[in-house]
Amino acid sequence: MKKKISTDKIIRLHLCLSVALFLPVDYTKFQHSTQKHQAACNTCHKIPTKNATTFPDIKDYPDHDACVSCHRPQFFKGARPVICSVCHSKTSPRDEARYTFRNPASKLQFTIEFPHDRHQDVIAMFRFSHAQQSYYNCTVCHSSRTATFKAAPENHSSCFNCHWKAQQPVATNCNGCHKLATPYVPATDPTRISIKYVHEGGGEKKQHVAECTTCHINITKAASLKGLKPDVPITACTECHNKDGLRQDLNTELRALDTNRNFTCVYCHAPNVGNLDPPASHNLIAERPPLKRKDIK
Amino acid sequence: MRFPRLVFFTLLLMMTAVLAQQPPAKQSGVLRLRVRVKADDSAPLRGLARKRFFLIPGTLEQNRALIDAIERQALVSRDCYYQKIGASAALIGWLRESDCESVYCRGVEQEFVSGPKAVPEFAVAYAASQKEFGNDETARQWLTTNLAPDVRDGFYRSRQTVLEALLKQGGPQVHSVMTDRNGTAYFTDLGPGTYVLSNLIPTELGQTFVTWNCEVQVKPGDLATEKPYLVSNRKDRNVKCVGVEKPKPVCATD
Repeated sequence: MKKKISTDKIIRLHLCLSVALFLPVDYTKFQHSTQKHQAACNTCHKIPTKNATTFPDIKDYPDHDACVSCHRPQFFKGARPVICSVCHSKTSPRDEARYTFRNPASKLQFTIEFPHDRHQDVIAMFRFSHAQQSYYNCTVCHSSRTATFKAAPENHSSCFNCHWKAQQPVATNCNGCHKLATPYVPATDPTRISIKYVHEGGGEKKQHVAECTTCHINITKAASLKGLKPDVPITACTECHNKDGLRQDLNTELRALDTNRNFTCVYCHAPNVGNLDPPASHNLIAERPPLKRKDIK
Repeated sequence: MRFPRLVFFTLLLMMTAVLAQQPPAKQSGVLRLRVRVKADDSAPLRGLARKRFFLIPGTLEQNRALIDAIERQALVSRDCYYQKIGASAALIGWLRESDCESVYCRGVEQEFVSGPKAVPEFAVAYAASQKEFGNDETARQWLTTNLAPDVRDGFYRSRQTVLEALLKQGGPQVHSVMTDRNGTAYFTDLGPGTYVLSNLIPTELGQTFVTWNCEVQVKPGDLATEKPYLVSNRKDRNVKCVGVEKPKPVCATD
């Protein structure tokens, strides 16, 4: 038996199709997700680009021929074709100025696939070129961004030195690492709980400068970047910061909280975190019962 | 009217019974692993750094087939592998110096590219990289891109092939972590139950291969703060898992 479609549904369908068909295409935005843009990456991106000086890299937009082959009408539409603004900061035939590649103002269209576990297996060995600590591992990719945070790789320098041509995914196999995603704006700053921690700190002896996996305990099992967190357990801190004969930083603040429910834990935390209830792990390590601020008299 | 009311109360009773039987929110545990070994009787105990350990759900008996497969492995040592592919003594020594399974594990310093300590394979790759990249520093840092695959990471890849086959046998729920420089590692988010702690691929230690396969109990609420699970190749009252040592086979000569 045939199902009857209501007139209302037919009208709605017509409206949707009309909008889809007649809505002007926005040529100021390039989408990798457009089906015709999903050919092999090297159809448009040639590697290395001419402006890569320190090492062979891809640091510029594809040449005009990558676009003109399909978009000739848009290229020659008026004195300032809007399509130029995808790469060029000025849409004028007499100006070649381009945005930085990739344009930091545009949304990211790819996520990165990076298995920390495999890389830990092969590269994160003790190395002897580190200045003082006689080891060198995660810093191959994560240099210091600030005194507090390490940086994530921002270019291909720490990838191509191994993955240039022989070790897959190689430089021409972009899809080996870059996975097409729904466009997104990346977080500018990582979320940190213990904002006052300094990687290069730890007193005069710089005792924080340890092997990264000593504190970031889940990195060696992380097969993907999805859901990856810094994962530093409180025990990584209390080994020194709450130890008899050494320091009592955790105990001191928990004791202060016993007498003042509005006390802000400031040794490690900024007020946004320091004003919350101490998590169960903190009380457990200090051998105290769980504590909620509202229960403090 | 009476019948639907009866059905309703029966259903309500059944739902209450089902909900009452549901376990409370699952609590996960943590296993803090500490691996301390002796390369030989005269050597001091030291943390076994940067070795991967696995936690396989089930008892030793339940994992018997896997453990048999682990014990049956005919392993080639790193030195034998590199000798077999004709690697230079300098390269074998360079890998041995930092217990490296592949050339990626440490930076190749200038002294290993030219001069008396030069590793011939590195020197050749460096020359090719100089030609390709036109920059000495890039040539050195990107040197591995011009090494033959077997020299570069053939040994590591052969181990990975064995490992992948064993992991397939271990099922999808196998946890894995690598020890840090002190021989410590944490297995986190573990459901309570029995597991087998194993290194799956025997670890080269001095002149022996060591294999660990031990049963571990994880209780809900076990925390990293508790005493570590001590693993060693020497018996001691604190050691919970003692490895089985086998002498390394002599390298086959062609």
